[in-house]
Parts: sequence; structure tokens; C-alpha cells
Amino acid sequence: MDQSKTPGYKKIKQWLKANGRKPFQFQEDAWQHYIAGYSGLVNAPTGFGKTFSLFLAVVIEGLNESLEKNAKNKDRLQLIWITPLRSLAKDIARAMRETLLEIGLDWHVGVRNGDTSQAEKLQQKKSMPEILLITPESLHLLLAQKGATTIFKKLKCIVADEWHELLGSKRGVLVELAVSRIKGIQAAAKNESLRVWGISATIGNIEEALEVLVPDERVKRIIVKADLEKKIRIKSILPDEDETLPWAGHLGLKLAYKLLPIIKKSKTTLIFINTRGQSEIWYQHLLNIEPDLAGQIAIHHGSVDFELRNWIEDALHTGQLKAVIATSSLDLGVDFKPVDTVVQVGSPKGVARFLQRAGRSGHSPHEISKIYFLPTHALELVEAAAIKEAARNNNIESREPFIMVFDTLIQYLVTLAIGDGFDDKIIYEEIKNTYAFKLILPEEWSWVMQFITSGGDSLSAYNEFKKVVKDEDGLWKVKSRQLAMRHRLHIGTIVSDAMLKVKFISGGYIGMIEEYFVSRLKAGDHFRLAGRVLEFIRVKDMTVVVRNSKQKNAISPSWNGGRLPLSSNLGAVLRRKYNEALDQTHQDEELDAIYPLFLLQEQRSHVPRNDELLVELINNKEGFHLFAYPFEGRLVHEVLAALVAYRLSKLLPISFSIAMNDYGFELLSETEIPMDESIAYEVFSPKNLTEDIKSSINATEMARRKFRDIACISGLVFQGYPGKYVANKHLQSSAGLFFNVFSDYDKHNLLLRQAYDEVFYQQLEEPRLAAALERIQNGAIVITEPKSFTPLSFPIKVDSLRENMSSEELEQRIARMKAESEKIK
Amino acid sequence: MTITSQGEELILDKERALYLPKHQLLAISDLHLGKSAHFRQAGLQVPATIGLSDLQRLSLLIEKYDPKVLLINGDMFHHGLNTDIEIFERWRMQYHHIKFLLVKGNHDKLTVADYEAMHIEIHEPSFCLGPFCFIHDAPQNTKEELYPISGHVHPGVSIVGKAKQRLKFPCFYFGKKHAILPAFSLFTGLYNVYPKADERIFAVTPKNVVEV
Repeated sequence: MDQSKTPGYKKIKQWLKANGRKPFQFQEDAWQHYIAGYSGLVNAPTGFGKTFSLFLAVVIEGLNESLEKNAKNKDRLQLIWITPLRSLAKDIARAMRETLLEIGLDWHVGVRNGDTSQAEKLQQKKSMPEILLITPESLHLLLAQKGATTIFKKLKCIVADEWHELLGSKRGVLVELAVSRIKGIQAAAKNESLRVWGISATIGNIEEALEVLVPDERVKRIIVKADLEKKIRIKSILPDEDETLPWAGHLGLKLAYKLLPIIKKSKTTLIFINTRGQSEIWYQHLLNIEPDLAGQIAIHHGSVDFELRNWIEDALHTGQLKAVIATSSLDLGVDFKPVDTVVQVGSPKGVARFLQRAGRSGHSPHEISKIYFLPTHALELVEAAAIKEAARNNNIESREPFIMVFDTLIQYLVTLAIGDGFDDKIIYEEIKNTYAFKLILPEEWSWVMQFITSGGDSLSAYNEFKKVVKDEDGLWKVKSRQLAMRHRLHIGTIVSDAMLKVKFISGGYIGMIEEYFVSRLKAGDHFRLAGRVLEFIRVKDMTVVVRNSKQKNAISPSWNGGRLPLSSNLGAVLRRKYNEALDQTHQDEELDAIYPLFLLQEQRSHVPRNDELLVELINNKEGFHLFAYPFEGRLVHEVLAALVAYRLSKLLPISFSIAMNDYGFELLSETEIPMDESIAYEVFSPKNLTEDIKSSINATEMARRKFRDIACISGLVFQGYPGKYVANKHLQSSAGLFFNVFSDYDKHNLLLRQAYDEVFYQQLEEPRLAAALERIQNGAIVITEPKSFTPLSFPIKVDSLRENMSSEELEQRIARMKAESEKIK
Repeated sequence: MTITSQGEELILDKERALYLPKHQLLAISDLHLGKSAHFRQAGLQVPATIGLSDLQRLSLLIEKYDPKVLLINGDMFHHGLNTDIEIFERWRMQYHHIKFLLVKGNHDKLTVADYEAMHIEIHEPSFCLGPFCFIHDAPQNTKEELYPISGHVHPGVSIVGKAKQRLKFPCFYFGKKHAILPAFSLFTGLYNVYPKADERIFAVTPKNVVEV
């Protein structure tokens, strides 16, 4: 039936017309399909009203119903709007409220996330609003409430906003699980009308994105794609001819002065910096080189206090700020009208992220987004050229969904158990129908159930383990209030170090810093946070007490954010750009700027061609270095380096320290590394690959590192919450300890297996590795022996994150290390 | 590995134990019995068998040295009474000919009657023997003539080599003023100690004990 004849539809059209607006085709399509009962995915560039394509659809339906029946629903919740970032919710809620007011629909819009006050949550519990904006974590917290099952009875629609962002993380699995439960609750009430929609930017696997969100094939599904193109202008900030960029590093302050004229001529500029620590340094640096900016620039990242972030966001809306230095905290969807320029400092490591950030400027339809790229070291200029080309060709990465993440499943089941409890047969059917767990085996399910009910051990006669127990009503529940409280505090899949709140001695919060950083501070030390220099006074009640300081110099906390690996799409373009740079067969100004560096690389060693693998052997007082440059991205290099190290270590007893970046990897040993052309072809061979990879993963710490997150998510290790919880000392342990204990006493533990699987399937991309090795076999391996570090090797050498592998006898190794350290003394 | 300290012979065992042949005394520290059961009661899935394996290691040590006295240098029990402790009580009966001494640690909070029932002799704050004084946590500044041997910190040592290599082991620490024993229980973490001049560190590797 033609939906455009319904009263609600007409009313929306009238309202738009009165405002002098006309809906885009994709918005009308989304409305039609939604009302016709479809679930689906809206794919449109930023700035074209993605929010309205679904929000108004639900409003139209609401208008139709209230006009038709004029009935008052007791169960008010109509629409759950899932946002990945807290900062998004506020702005979307504001837009929704304004619209509802103008249309004259008496609906309430509520926000629920980590920043929501206790009073407001209580109010929501009494009476849910019609529209609830929520993060995936808070949605699970809602499921953990008593009486949760009654809230969702009349729910019409769940929207996962910025779905591409959630998809490639375990937070996406949280969404899948919550959706499966809400559908299950409605099915039990014979209600089948729930529609699930996603909103996604363009990604390589958009069909799969829909499949993950709406896995049920019996449901009517559709992708609504906006036939609109966002114009983006990309410009690199290049060093002047007499300037050279450093070979390594990630700060990029050298070119900071070139930002000043850009900031000056723009209305408002967003400056994206990859880590929080660096953003603090940049903020200070900009003020140092241009004191006039004081009061006109601000700093925004996840560790800045909520109130302050709010203030900055408001100031961005009203155009009071000339520039804001931000991390990924401002990546997504927020629509700041005054922002007309974006600067990316350092490589964004992927095309999708770069385009997303570019889209923060020129937010209105048909405006052009302007983004500047500021390289922090020389080789990033090549990356800039590669990103520009990939963006031009719309060569955008896929986001791989997580599957079979038992840690998240375990957390989810306990979440249900502290709420109204669950029936294992029903939940098993529900999760088997999610994308993440469609491959789960019955024995894996029983293991998970056993893990939460009897502690993973059925043989012990003494079973004191009572986490989840069967209640009289036959449902599985958590009876202990203490356990329930602890679980509530750690719902979620974002694992970070324990954070402490930072507060002025005179009152007022500034933000949060990591406990590890605080533990190294002495009273009187100075550090930077939220753009201020602060003097550390003491830690009291899990809060860091500070006072303002006039001092100029201070250390910046290094928040342990994850490192972003280069995407595979970029790797291939990057390899080609290296050839073009040396041959000068290109149109890229970036490559011209880096030409002298390539000459130096060629002079000291060699610049690898597309069909070549360069291996550099360098011997100095640190030891014997082997560098290889496959250009496959950090994650693949980590596995490849371990593989090559493992194969070399089979030739003779040897110990390696391994480092890698997006271009290549380094093996460092104190004894000479056997290497010639025939050995090189041998160790870079695709033969016996699967088995050798398994052995090399076992021989390194990769799985152990993955297990850190798994132990937290599954609730084995409690992180603590800033200022909210003092961990019980006698229950403290570490993920590493659990990893050892499971390896020794519980080999079949699925969480342990998950750690290995995460290395194997998510990191490794075996087909990609096999293809790389095939390419190397069919090409030439060039081995050089430079006298000193080369422009390619230097950035890897200075990387501090290292892996170890050894085939020496432990005792011999200790003896040798001891002898060496004595020599050094 | 055998060393001499304060004129007496000491055997450092790779099972994280110290044996004093002259006194036929086997000393361990930080046994943390009941830790796994305590974790399990709190809903943390520690394999139940782990407490058992610590006792098995202790049995092997008793067989090896045939001591008259077993001294536990504090933190014998992790928390309260639980199923792990019941297992211990039955295990204890096999060794009624051995005297069990406990130097009380910060975790040891059972009642006097509980210890009596398990035939454990309590010493607080220390137990002294020959030139040594066993105490759970090292005293800040000791005026005593005797050489304190403590536990509590679960000492570990990092060995750093050329080419950015690093290894970490539990260790025995023998300093000028006092010594520290490694934690006996395998379900414990490590706290790094950094040797200064005139101090000896013995790393516990899977195969033996080596001085580093």
C-alpha cells in the first residue's frame, strides 16, 4: 500500500514544507519501507539527514496510530536508538525534541548512558520515555534490571546508529545479543512487529553489515542507499623545500606553525590527533606558538570530564571556538554547523576513518568537506598519497564482525541472570539465531553454562562455586547481591586500565587518568590534563587531588589507547606508491616532497619494487638486526615476524626480540642471524603455513595479550571503576595469571581457545598472509647490508612494543644474558 | 642449589622452598591455601584443582627432604575456611609425625581453635632459629642481631639481556639485612625486586635455581 496517503505521512510532509524543506529520496524510501514492515540499513553520507530517515519513520507511524485510535499506551517505549558515543546522544536528543515539539506529538525523549544521573534513571524506571537513546553497554544494564522483560513489550523499532563503528568490535556483539533478547521477549508475547534498522557510512561489506544486525532470513530486509555524493577536498601540509621531516615519531609539531593560517581563515577547525597524550601536547604547543589563541581553542578527549566536554560541544555549536583539538571522541556524527575545516595529524590508518573525519566539516548537504593532512614523519607522506588515491577510488575497508566471542556471551548470560533470570533453552535458541553465535555447538553451549553455574568444573565433589543458580521458577539467576553489583559495574567490552578521577583541591572535576600513571607521581609533580598544567597533591578515596600550576613544562599521561593497524586496502596502494615515488611517475605533491628520502634509502640500501621483498641486515652494538618490508600492515606483520622468527629458530638455537610497524618488521638477536637468498625463500615460504603459524603463535605472547581483554570481559578480572569501587584486595589477580592457570589446569577452557582464535582469525587473515608469501615467492628477495639504519628501518627500530621468541635452552639463555650484562657493566 | 648464609648451609629448591639441613626444617612462604576456593565462592572461575597441585608439590618436597619441621612463613591460608581447607585437613593427617609451624601473616585469620584442630603451631610475629628469624613481612629497621627471612611480597626478578631481551622469574632474595622467600603457591603474581651491590638473587626457573 502507498504509505504516502496516511495521515502521519501527510503531516510530516506538511511540516517539512512549512520549514521550506523537501525530503531526500532515500528518506522517503526509508519511511515507506519502515511502515511496510521492513528491517534494514540506511547508507548515506554524513550531513544528509540519516537520523531523520528513521526517526521520522517511527514518528509517522506514531502519528498514524494516535490519530487512528487516539489510544494511550501504558507501555510507552516505542524506539530504542543505540549510539556508540555518549556525546552523540545529547545532540540527537535535542534535534528529536525540537522536531516533536514542532510536529505536536507528545512524546518524550530520554537519554541513558554512563553520564545519566541516578535520579533520571529512576524516573525512567517509573515511566519509560517513548524514545530512548542509549549506548550498547547501558542497554545491557537495562537488561540487568529486575522487571527488564516488561519494558520492551510495545517497542516498535531498534535503530543502531553508526553501525559501521560498532560492527567491527565486540560492542557490535552486545547489540546483536540485546536485539535477540528483545525479539525473544516480544515473541513470547506473540508480538512480531519489531523492526531493526542500522545506519551506516559506506564500508566494504555493507551487505554483511545488514546480515549481522538482522540475521533472520524470514524477515523483510532492505538496504536503503542514498544516491548522493559528498564532495571532499583533501590537502596535505607539506614541509617547505629546505625543511626535512623526522624519520620517525608521531608528534608532528614541526609543521604545527603551518596550521595557524588555516585556523585563522576558517570559521572553526577540528584538529584530530590519534592519541589523548599527544593531543595534550599539541594543545600546549599551539598556545605556545600563538598565544592569541588562548580562550579560543579547547581540547576534547574521552578522559576530559563530562561537564567540560559538554561545554566544549556547546561552544562548538555556537561557534565560540576557533579550534578544538580532539581524538576519536569527536569522530562520529555530531553535527557542528560552524566547523568548516578539519585537520588530521598523523596517519588515520584507514580510508573509512579519514573520510569520516573529513565529514565533520561542511556538514550540510552539498557543502564541500575540507580536510588537511599533517604528516608527523617523512614516510607518512607516502601514506597521504595512498589515502588520497584510495579515497578517490572509493576503495573503502570492510569492518569484520566478531564471531564466537565467548567472553561476551558469558558476560551477557550473567547480565540476564542478575535481571529477571533466563531459561537456558530459550536463550540457546535466541543466540543460535544471532550472526555472532550461529556456529555455536551444543557442547560449547554446555561448557558456557557450566562455566557460569559450576565454575567450569563438574568433577569436583566440593563445589563451592555458586554464581548463577537455578531458581524455584526454573530460571537461572544470580542470587548474591554482591556478585550482581560487581557484574553491573563491569558490563561492557571496552577494556581499559583502571582510571582515577582528577579533582581540584578547591572542588570541580577535570577528567580521568590511568592509575598506572598516578602510581609514578610524587606530590609536587606536574602533569597535563584537559589542556591544563596540574600539580599533583595526593590520591584520596580513589580520586586524584590536584591544584592549578603556573609551570610551563609538565609530563603528559600516556593513555594506553590501542594502536591502529594500517588496513589491507591501504597496504597495496602504499606498495605501488613507493615505486611511483622513486620512478617519479606520479602526480602526487606528497611524493615529490619525500623524493630526497627515497634517494637516501636507495643509496644506503634499496627501495623495494612492487614485486620485491627487501631484507636489510644491520649489525651494530645493539645486536644483529634483520628488517623485512612486506607492506601488509602491523597486524599481519606481527604474525609474519613470529613465523619467520620461528622458522629461523628451527635452524639453530637463537633468541629474538621482535618489533613491527605498518611497513615491515624487525628481528633483533644478540647472535648472528643466518640469512642468505636460499634461507630467505625458505622462511618466507607458504609451505606448511598453517602448522608453522600455530607453532609460532604458541611460542610468543600474542594469545596471552589477547587474553587480557577476554579475562576482563568475561568477568575473571575486575577492573574497578573510577571513584566507585575499591577492589577487594583478596580477590585481586591478573589476566596473565589466569592465562597460566588455564594453560596448566584447564586446557579445554573456551576462553583460552578464544584468545588463540582471535590471533588466528582476526589478526592473521590467513588468506592475506598466504597471498603475501606467494607474492614474495614469485618475486625477488633483495638482501642488503647497510652500514647504518635506513629511512625505512629507523621507525621500526625505535618502536617499543616488542615480542619475544627463543629456541635456546632457558638455562643457557640466562647464563648468556648474565655474561653479557656483566660485560656491559 | 646450596648456599651459605650467616655461617649456615641453606638449600634453595626450585619448588620455591628453603631447606635448613642442620635443623631438618623445610620452610615455605605464602602458600595461600584456599585461594582458589575463595575465588570460586566469589564467582571467579579458578580451576578447583589448583589448590590440590600446591599440596602435591609440598608432598614431593616432604618426601625429598624428610623434614622434622615444616615452617610456613605466613599467608598459609588465603581467607576463611572453605573446601580447600577441608582437603588440606585430610592431607595433613598423612604427616602427623611432622611439626607444622605457622608464622602468622596478614592473610592468616582463622581462630586459634581452627589452627589447633589442624595441629598447626602458631608463632607471632616471628619464629627464630639459630642465626635466622622467620617473619612474614620484613621489619622496617631491624635492631635484632638475627637475620630476618621474610615472604609476603612474592618476589620476582627480571633479567635483561642484549638485543632488548627480558625474562622474568620468581626468586629468592638474600640481601645484607634480610632475605625474602618466593611465594610457594603457583596462583600468585610477582613483585619485581632490583638487586643492589652485595645482594644475591636466585631465580627459580622450571628446571633449577640459578644465581643471577
